[in-house]
Amino acid sequence: MNNKYKILVVEDEENINNLITTLLDANGYQALSAKSCADARIMNSSYKPDLVILDLGLPDADGGIFLKEVRKGSRVPIIVLSARSDEKDKVEALDSGANDYVTKPFGAAELVARVRSALRTSIYTGDNAGYSGERFETGDLSIDYDSRHVFIEKNEINLTQTEYNIIAFLSKHPGKVLTYAAIIKEIWGYSDLGSIKKLQVNMANIRKKFGAIPGEKNYIINELGVGYRMNNDE
Amino acid sequence: MKKTTIIRDIKITAVILAVCFVICLVLHKSTKADTLIPAIFVLGSFLVSSATNGYIYGIIAAFVSMLAVNYAFTFPFFKFSFTASENLISAIIMIAISVMTSTLTTKLKVQEAVRAENEKEKTRSNLLRAISHDLRTPLTTIYGSSSALIENKDNFTEEQKEQILKGISQDAQWLSRMVENLLSITKLDNGNMKITKVPTVVDELVDSVLIKFNNRYPDCNVIVETPEEFAVVPMDPLLIEQVIINILENAVHHAKGMTKLSFKIFVSPQKAVFQIKDNGCGIPDKKLKTLFTGSCDTSDEGADSKRSNAGIGLSVCSTIIKAHGGDIEAQNLKHGGAVFRFSLNMEDMYE
Repeated sequence: MNNKYKILVVEDEENINNLITTLLDANGYQALSAKSCADARIMNSSYKPDLVILDLGLPDADGGIFLKEVRKGSRVPIIVLSARSDEKDKVEALDSGANDYVTKPFGAAELVARVRSALRTSIYTGDNAGYSGERFETGDLSIDYDSRHVFIEKNEINLTQTEYNIIAFLSKHPGKVLTYAAIIKEIWGYSDLGSIKKLQVNMANIRKKFGAIPGEKNYIINELGVGYRMNNDE
Repeated sequence: MKKTTIIRDIKITAVILAVCFVICLVLHKSTKADTLIPAIFVLGSFLVSSATNGYIYGIIAAFVSMLAVNYAFTFPFFKFSFTASENLISAIIMIAISVMTSTLTTKLKVQEAVRAENEKEKTRSNLLRAISHDLRTPLTTIYGSSSALIENKDNFTEEQKEQILKGISQDAQWLSRMVENLLSITKLDNGNMKITKVPTVVDELVDSVLIKFNNRYPDCNVIVETPEEFAVVPMDPLLIEQVIINILENAVHHAKGMTKLSFKIFVSPQKAVFQIKDNGCGIPDKKLKTLFTGSCDTSDEGADSKRSNAGIGLSVCSTIIKAHGGDIEAQNLKHGGAVFRFSLNMEDMYE
């Protein structure tokens, strides 16, 4: 029986497609390759992959269209490949349901780490299901959702209501980049001109309370100009 | 030509001629120094042609001047008269002088524009030459190493293979940063891309910069000092991140003998100042002037100035900072080392 994770790679550049599929195979995943949007649709419906790696620039249609199509019917994690300059595309892809993005050119280790982290998220959340656990743990950080307590190395961190809500929201999607807009919508329900500042101030307080050191591996990763991500690399 | 410039030119012509006319009228009435009058009008037409675009206004001004002189300031006064042969001759001479000076100034202006264009072309081709040189070096490694691996993979020891592959990876990474820089420079240089500033938290920027920098240079420790209070600066965060990394990277490659690299940020209500200081060998004086222009001549560095980045990294910095409406400068320190400083304006982004 084959119980490897199936990963669909949608990328029209032959060399990049080969590279990614080889890399995934070497890391114990089963890689499926598609070179166009049409291919991707067929592969997606017949193989039901556990994860999709999607290039946005495809020859027959915009990868974003495929992304939205997939999102209508499934919660399969999707990692988008994008060029660094397409800031807007990135945010748009995340807001329309992508779990993560990897900037081209990327290193092998980076891509595999993102794949691993996205798959881990989908185990936490399960397909089509909301979050069901009672606790979140990564490194020395643990969050108890029932009592709404946050600990680092057994020491309780005193957070305000809003700070806790932000942390809980991020931790329910570990490894996923959450855009400013997505977090604001979840926490305050509405957004106005001051929302981003409110979010930034809260994040600054959380960083301080967590004792984050700039440049070190922290629990919350800043995605400049895009949003935040809960680090779940172990 | 645009309608507004035509209207502007017509206005200039009218004003200058009117002023000439008034001056002449005053002179004529008060001193009777009539010999000055044609000279004043010639001066007027000259001014018109140097202040306007094209020949046409200068020639119109010359013609109007001639008529004015003939009408108002030659006998019979306030009446056109071309019958007297001396009036006719003086009118022709005046027109000739005016037309000649105005064509001459126009020509000069055209030449000036051509010269400026040439100068720009020259810097551009210098930059291109430097870039091609810089691109070729890592490409040589990548192409040569990968083909060597394909063709003789059995002849290399594992250790050698590892070495070769590392070289490929490093040079490819360098190449990709170079391309990033070039993209930013072409996008911004055309002036057709407007920067989208977003409120960026200084701590988040610093964190992101340091993670990237430490990845590339794990051995280089940067001492960071950020403002105590929560600080938000409007900027395009990815571009500013690129600026900071370029400056830090420049220090790593060029500040020989450096043992300390520090990065400090000051924030005031008007400005945010970012300062990167090293204690290396400093910047040679002759380079200090052209540091940010990208016209850095690579020839004196020898053919193997592999990581020179042809000064592109720094010229990218200045392009990005200028596009933000900020300032950038570099200085040598008294006790050795160099300091790079750039500032961004604080404006309220939340209103």
